[in-house]
Amino acid sequence: MNGLVASSRRSAKRSARAAARVPRGLTPTALVAVVGGLFVLIWGQQYAGSVFVLAACYAIVTAGMAVQIGFSQQIAFSQSVFMGVGAYGVAMLNSHYNMPVLLATPIVLVGSALVALLLGSVVTRASGLALAVATLMLPLIAVGYVSGTGFLGGAVGAPLPGTLWPSSSASTTVALVGGGLIVIALLALAVFISARILTSDIGLELFVLGVDERTAAALGVRTPRRKLELFVLGCVFAALGGAAYAGTQQFVPETLVDPTAELALLIMLFIGGRRSVIGAVIGALVIQYLQGASNWVSVNILVVEGLLLTVVLLVDPEGLAGITATGVAWLRARLGSSSRLGGTTRPPKPPWPDGRPSRPGGIEVPVPDGAADSAEAAVLAGAIGLAEGTELANDTEITGITATGGTGRAKRTARITAGDSGRLGGGEAPEAALLEVRSVFKEYGGLSVLADITLALPERGLFALCGPNGAGKTTLLNVIGGSVPPTSGQVMLDGTDITKRPPNERFYRGVSRTFQAVHLIKGRTVLDNVAVACLASHTSSIVTRISRSRLDEAREKAASALADLGMADLAGREVSSLTLETQRMVELARALAPNPRLLLLDEPASGLSEEQRQRLAGLLAALADRTCVLLVEHDLALVAQVSERIFVLSAGRLVFDGGPSDFRSSPVVNTLLVGS
Amino acid sequence: MMKFGNLLIAGITTGAIYAMFAVCVSVWYRVSNILNLAVGDFAMVGALGVDNLYRVKGLPLPVAIITTLLVVAAFAYVYDQIVLRIAQDGPRRMDGIVVTFFFTFALSFFIDGVAKMLFGTDVHAAPALWNGDSLSLGSLHFERAGLLVLGCAVIIGGAFWVYIRFTLGGKALEASGENSVGARIVGIDTRRYRRLIFVGTAVIAAIFGIVESPITGFTYLSGATISLTGFLAAAYGGFRKPGRALLAGLFIGVLEAMLGGYVSPEYGDTVMYAILAALVLAWPRQLGFESAVGG
Repeated sequence: MNGLVASSRRSAKRSARAAARVPRGLTPTALVAVVGGLFVLIWGQQYAGSVFVLAACYAIVTAGMAVQIGFSQQIAFSQSVFMGVGAYGVAMLNSHYNMPVLLATPIVLVGSALVALLLGSVVTRASGLALAVATLMLPLIAVGYVSGTGFLGGAVGAPLPGTLWPSSSASTTVALVGGGLIVIALLALAVFISARILTSDIGLELFVLGVDERTAAALGVRTPRRKLELFVLGCVFAALGGAAYAGTQQFVPETLVDPTAELALLIMLFIGGRRSVIGAVIGALVIQYLQGASNWVSVNILVVEGLLLTVVLLVDPEGLAGITATGVAWLRARLGSSSRLGGTTRPPKPPWPDGRPSRPGGIEVPVPDGAADSAEAAVLAGAIGLAEGTELANDTEITGITATGGTGRAKRTARITAGDSGRLGGGEAPEAALLEVRSVFKEYGGLSVLADITLALPERGLFALCGPNGAGKTTLLNVIGGSVPPTSGQVMLDGTDITKRPPNERFYRGVSRTFQAVHLIKGRTVLDNVAVACLASHTSSIVTRISRSRLDEAREKAASALADLGMADLAGREVSSLTLETQRMVELARALAPNPRLLLLDEPASGLSEEQRQRLAGLLAALADRTCVLLVEHDLALVAQVSERIFVLSAGRLVFDGGPSDFRSSPVVNTLLVGS
Repeated sequence: MMKFGNLLIAGITTGAIYAMFAVCVSVWYRVSNILNLAVGDFAMVGALGVDNLYRVKGLPLPVAIITTLLVVAAFAYVYDQIVLRIAQDGPRRMDGIVVTFFFTFALSFFIDGVAKMLFGTDVHAAPALWNGDSLSLGSLHFERAGLLVLGCAVIIGGAFWVYIRFTLGGKALEASGENSVGARIVGIDTRRYRRLIFVGTAVIAAIFGIVESPITGFTYLSGATISLTGFLAAAYGGFRKPGRALLAGLFIGVLEAMLGGYVSPEYGDTVMYAILAALVLAWPRQLGFESAVGG
């Protein structure tokens, strides 16, 4: 490893650490505690103060919604119901059993958590819209139940004598201000917990889960568990908000649980900013103040809310928080540019002095003229640096399949048994086989997509899977990766049957993959996109992330994986700003970062130029020395150049397997893939 | 048996209303990828608008109806031109849940608020278009307004079917829903279809509000309930499939009537929502939920 790469790796590590200087979640928590506390102390006895405290009760709920609905995009309409569970629970314990509100609250929270766990283990099996529609029934059911239940006060509502402030002999002033301060403390706690979770390594998991559940699973996220945890978290926060509501308002109206209440909560969240905890708090404040204002606004609150929501979302889908962030960034840019003599954002400095890799005796990798970003191209060109000892055939004939391969490596023997001939096992069990696919069939309805596929791959080497469109290549990759279950047959990894194991578990066992279409996480940096694959949090509970996060470790691993590919300087870039080639390279870096034992690549060269393909070829050849790579690819020249063994699928059957020279001369291959 | 028959009639009548709103939601979703959560609010405006113009302002009934429908159409047109254009056609095209749910959700609030200003908070209804006692066939009773609703549902549903199935416009509509970008490449102006169907379904919703309101009566808040049921029926129809949405609407209407009649008038709805929730959880894929809206 040369010094330049090492130094860029160090700089990437530095930038990974820089983010962690301010303790996580402290800023929003301090803001809420200080501003809220002062407000209650000064105006606590006045009307403005009482509206503020009511808003704080709702803000506890919306803070949880920011984590569950905004950030992780698990749309469940369960908050108003659990706000009702919290409020009615406290009201019942207080009015029927004389239990102080402050004591009743934790009891109700534990009860809510248990109910949420039961309910959640049923409803969170659903995803996306199914989850939304199934949980939409909850407020509809709840309002019907509450209005018909005399015990809860029916349509009239349930009053309670107690207040959040524990002493019953205290003056009204003390009870008001003290109760208000308790609510602010609870809100600060809610904000703290939410912000800590969002900034932790599990926060990154949740973000990926929100963007794309399948990618999250392929990267090791235990999606069912995370979804359940999110549901319970949202419900417990809602119950806490409800308890605070009952303890400060001393009355629980039936309307607290109905669908309109749920919609009001959603409006607060989306006006404030769905992905921002502090935004969710501000949204609750804004809406409660508009509703509490005793003038034209509160009379026509529906018109005002409708207009406000429309305008805010049109300006920025991330709500007031998004608008504020844009404003702050703009101000910073203005102030920064005036002090730095018109200095605009500088492009990342390439790791080589002249922006080009100069490897002694190495290959001249031309940087394309007019590339979208020369620094980006230069970094990618440097990626070839990984291909130690690889000679790229400069005279490679690229069209057709007459490419002269020759990666200069000693060929390894791949144990392959095709079709019906071989059953692995018995006397000639291949002890070194990493992956075994045993007579796998896959049918959709009556349509056979894979028929009796049997193959075995060793610990290291590069193997390619070819075939015309619809031959079943991606399906086979999905069966191996675990996102598609086979109709029959087995997938073995290291002699263990993993056929029924979910994708995330295969990821832990060393199976890593890329997708045919790029599946990067938009809105996150290159570093975070790679860090997703380096997380050590999969088996931990979301609760543990309130105290500690190992995101920095993951980012450091990611930084060194990027540095290995010579891409350290791209670490801070947002992924959707990159070219397609770079995005594919980032995805490759992400697949490589956890040091997989089996790497599944689905058409990594599609959409790349010839020159980019040659760079990719160099990289792939180098990879084959340390891991087992299974490549699905249409570019036959590339396949013949880098693979030591090639499988050809046609209509779900394995019709060819052999080395590159057989591949070039095979009549089957020529008829099927070249059309001659 | 007589009870069953009458419940079935009542169920089919309300089911037909749900079905029509569900069809409106799903047809527009096909074109725009937006769920119209304000469809019921247009119905409410239809009913209360006609009532206001006819009863309070003293306009002749046909004039009141036509004026109301024109106002609804104009409003829908302007809304599309301003809000949806900025949201979907602007330089920063938005997608995901913000557009799918929240703009029409805000619209629903806005319309309800305006209706409260204009029409007050009392229960009103458009005047019955076909007066007289309910018609009897043996021991079965048919409300005249219910028959009108069914008639309108059959006519409008049939017109939709013919339009989608047999006209070039319908094919273009289908193409816009299947693949918006692809449709635009082959020269279909998807924005025009989004606008056309939005205005069209708003007017259809208003008509249903006018025809149906003598049965139940409307307040300025009635729209949300109608939108909700239309949304649910559309959801069970897989959102993009108007035919299935129609069946789902009928099913929900009949289920509601049967549970109200045989299980409990108070908890009938509660039981129905529980059944509907169980259905989603049991067969999400078969009911078309998994493929519809993402993130």
